[in-house]
Amino acid sequence: MPDSASRGPLSPSQWYWTAPYVAVVLFAVAMFALAWLMFEREAAAQRSAVTRDVQWAEQTMRMHMQGSEEFIAQLARDLAAGVLDADSFQLRANQHIANNAELVNVVWVGADELVRWSAPFDTIEWLVGDALSARQQLAFLHARELGGPAYGEAYAGARGTAVLEVYQPVRRGREFLGAIVAVYSVDRMVHHLVPGWFAEKYRLALLDGGGEVLATSSVVSEVDERLFYEIALDPPGNGLILRATAFRSVDGLPKTLPMVAIVGLSLLVLWTLWMLRAHVQRRVQVERERDRLFNLSLDMLCVVGLDGRFRRCNPAFLNVLGHPPESLAGTPLLDLVHAEDVALTVGQLRALEAGQAVSFENRCRCADGSHKWLVWSINPVREELQVYAVAHDITGRKATEEALRAESAFRKAMEESVLTGLRAIDLSGRIIYVNSAFSRMVGFSQDELVGAGPPFPYWPDEDVDTCRRNLELTLAGRAPAGGFEMRIRRKNGERLDARFYLSPLIDLTGKQTGWMASVTDITEPKRVRAALEAAHERFEAVLDGLDAAVFVADARTDEILFANRAFKAIHGFDAVGRTVRGVAVPQPERGDYRVDPRGLSVADLPRELFDGELQHPLSGRWYHVREQATRWVDGRVVRMGIATDITDRKQTAEVSRQQEERLQRTGRLITMGEMASTLAHELNQPLSAIANYCMGCVTRMQSDNWKQDEVLAAMQKASFQAERAGKIIRRVREFVKKSEPRRSAVAIDEVIDDAIGFAEIDARRLGARVLTEVEEGLPAVYADRIMIEQVVLNLVKNGLDAMHDNPPVHRVLRVRARALGRLSVEVAVIDRGHGIGEEERERLFTPFYTTKAEGMGMGLNICRSIIEFHDGRLTVESNPEGGTIFAFTLPTEAASERLARRA
Amino acid sequence: MSALPAEPDQIIYIIDDDEALRDSLVWLLESSGYRVQALESAERFLARYDENLTGCLVLDVRMPGMSGLELFEELGRRRCTLPVIFITGHGDVPMAVSALKKGAVDFIEKPFTDRDMLGLIEQCLASERENRGKRRQEADTARRLAQLTQREREVLDLIILGKLNKQIADVLGISIKTVEVHRARVMEKMGAHSLAELVQHVVSAEPAATR
Repeated sequence: MPDSASRGPLSPSQWYWTAPYVAVVLFAVAMFALAWLMFEREAAAQRSAVTRDVQWAEQTMRMHMQGSEEFIAQLARDLAAGVLDADSFQLRANQHIANNAELVNVVWVGADELVRWSAPFDTIEWLVGDALSARQQLAFLHARELGGPAYGEAYAGARGTAVLEVYQPVRRGREFLGAIVAVYSVDRMVHHLVPGWFAEKYRLALLDGGGEVLATSSVVSEVDERLFYEIALDPPGNGLILRATAFRSVDGLPKTLPMVAIVGLSLLVLWTLWMLRAHVQRRVQVERERDRLFNLSLDMLCVVGLDGRFRRCNPAFLNVLGHPPESLAGTPLLDLVHAEDVALTVGQLRALEAGQAVSFENRCRCADGSHKWLVWSINPVREELQVYAVAHDITGRKATEEALRAESAFRKAMEESVLTGLRAIDLSGRIIYVNSAFSRMVGFSQDELVGAGPPFPYWPDEDVDTCRRNLELTLAGRAPAGGFEMRIRRKNGERLDARFYLSPLIDLTGKQTGWMASVTDITEPKRVRAALEAAHERFEAVLDGLDAAVFVADARTDEILFANRAFKAIHGFDAVGRTVRGVAVPQPERGDYRVDPRGLSVADLPRELFDGELQHPLSGRWYHVREQATRWVDGRVVRMGIATDITDRKQTAEVSRQQEERLQRTGRLITMGEMASTLAHELNQPLSAIANYCMGCVTRMQSDNWKQDEVLAAMQKASFQAERAGKIIRRVREFVKKSEPRRSAVAIDEVIDDAIGFAEIDARRLGARVLTEVEEGLPAVYADRIMIEQVVLNLVKNGLDAMHDNPPVHRVLRVRARALGRLSVEVAVIDRGHGIGEEERERLFTPFYTTKAEGMGMGLNICRSIIEFHDGRLTVESNPEGGTIFAFTLPTEAASERLARRA
Repeated sequence: MSALPAEPDQIIYIIDDDEALRDSLVWLLESSGYRVQALESAERFLARYDENLTGCLVLDVRMPGMSGLELFEELGRRRCTLPVIFITGHGDVPMAVSALKKGAVDFIEKPFTDRDMLGLIEQCLASERENRGKRRQEADTARRLAQLTQREREVLDLIILGKLNKQIADVLGISIKTVEVHRARVMEKMGAHSLAELVQHVVSAEPAATR
């Protein structure tokens, strides 16, 4: 573990990484021990086998040597007995040598220590007559002394091979006859005294007392030097040692192989472990990296179980939603979802359950209770029984989208509501956009315009060249800053003037993609401007043409800055530059001003200073003088004065006032007439209907064939029409009530004068004269002046009309007013016309009765109503001089006062 | 009702904007046994007008929209021969007079009596009947005239001018015999029993034929 040092005690993972190593080592040790043990046991077994085999070989050798000892002892006894001659000796010795390969020679050495007999014949040593060597003498003497066989020291013989001699003394009685000697070849002893299988297994060697090897069975075969056994050979018992060394076994496995195998396998296991560890470490590293990524990721990551509960959330998830760490684990996902989105989310989770990967948006609740928009991407992993979800906080995006939508809607609305037309063309002059204002302006739909190239449909035929030139200028970027003024042809053929302001259309990358034109309909402004210019000209002309004197003077210094022609004409043509006070008369006194103009500042403007009528002290003419403080073109405060000569106007004012009154009267008269006509028409309808219903009923009932319910229905309808007529009458009454007379004290002579003033036009047309005879000092009457005037006017007109057929000389109408006592005044209109017959006189006051072609028959009726309303009487009688006299009485003011008191 | 005062196919069309007046008139006229149809505007009537209507019109002079007078003028343009009675209110008299001058049968001023109204209606229907008979006769004559050959027509024209057979033969350059044959044919085809009858038919149907 890379950081185990820093961690101190082993962590469990580290511990279980150490354990395999320990186990492998322990295993190896145990295996070693076991192998060693087996090895030892096998060695012991081998050693014991060697011991056994050597002992067996020694025994075999001893038996052979004892056999030979007995043979020579027999020979010695036979010799001693003298039954042995040389030939039998020779025979028996050779026979024995042939049977015992280890024997080299059998010799009889006389007591004189000389060789007597020697077998075999072909021997090169132990020749008859040879004396004994020192070494042989020693053994000979030993045998003589001992009286039994004695072995000499082994020594290297004449042929280079080691020999061993055994001496058997020969005695006859007490006579010593010499000794029979058997000579062994040590080499042959080794080769022939043991069986073949022994020689195969072991190397047999004979060693003398000094440890020198006398003979060995093999010198070539490899032997296991450690596995040998030595045993003293007795006889001869003079330190000869037999040693057997086991040959190295060649058929079995080498004894180190298991060890090598164990070590090798252990190493293999260790190596494998090491590799595994490295692999696992890599895995762990990867996992840790993944973990870090999980924790560091700005994306919201979470793992949700199939039960819909959070298993794990990364910090970003918690941060975005503002939850404390670890607080979400175990919480159901749906608990976080906005109530409106639950249905959608559940649907998506269903799809997840079906094994589909899903992606959707919903709102999730934050810790502070607010909601955030999240876009989810979830992959189910069914075998893990959980899902992996990635979420992005798109609240910002949503808000941006919302804002964008709102912005777009706002722009759209603005675009729709804006009155300026907008038209965009690309660099080739093709229309790429028009707004609805432009579309409205030209009358072509947006579809018709977008995509159109020059000539555009709204170019008027007569101006195509101008339009094309303007377009070329635009595309060349040389459109004037003040824009073009162009004439546009609407779809319906109308022309309108528009001003095009061009500006480059720049896209997001800052590249120009075309030209945007804002288009204003200047038809109206143009007309207005033209009108204004004309007005200005007119104004100047008018100002100079004015009879009124106009001046502008500095408010402080009183210096005249401007004066019109009239002013100059009155006050001198050098007026400009002088003071008003010095030249102009009449002038309002300083005290007459509403405010002192000298103290005014620009902020107080405009301010009326004076408005009044002044009389010229010398000429006696009247002037209407109006002065106003205002701001002059250069910014200073000035007095602008207008003085109008109103002498004439003052004179006509009175006349116009009278005219005004007349107008008022006429208006009321007309209203009355109209009302009467309408009333007549409206009443006609229900009355006719009633008559029809009734007559229908009568007709039916006269015939036998009628049904009661039919007639009943008709009668009901008739009754309903009667009601309708009643309503009309009521309406008229209300109208009349509204125009109730306003009574006051009125001088009757003035009333008569006014009425005749009106009638004079008719009179002149007829060539008639109207004479008034009004008593002096008539008392005022209490009446509505205008109404009475109407009555007089009406009667006068009637009278004039009546005299239509008279010869001009007799067309004279008299209007007479006189007092009838203190309480009433009588006015009589006396004509000399055709007169009225008795019969006619009765019908005179019925409504709608007329003798005139154009009349409505309402006039007299109304007149009578008015007079009766004034508590007077309208009478008619024949003029004894021919014609008719209409007369009415009115109560005087005094009479009405009395009346009021009485009431 | 014992006897219908009008032919059953004659209908009185009442055109008045005032519902009460219209309804009461229907009541009054139906009480006297007429077939009546009421309409509230001139436009309505024009919409359903066709040449085969028979009867007469009772028209209010003053109506919103198309006035009675305008309807009357329009009907004149359409060569309508239905007699028209105008109902006038107060003050409409000059208007009614101008209508009369243009050929309306009569006008009646509100309020009117049933006697006046019924009398006028009867008069109108009778004249319409007569007119219709005359027109039928004219149509019959025109149809007969159309059956004449060119030569027969020439002969007929000369007969109407009062020419004798001999003169006709001279004018047309044919023999008197042939003229007589033609003449007999003409009489037969025109269904006339006498010369006078023949002339009367032709002249009434074709005033222009009298050269």
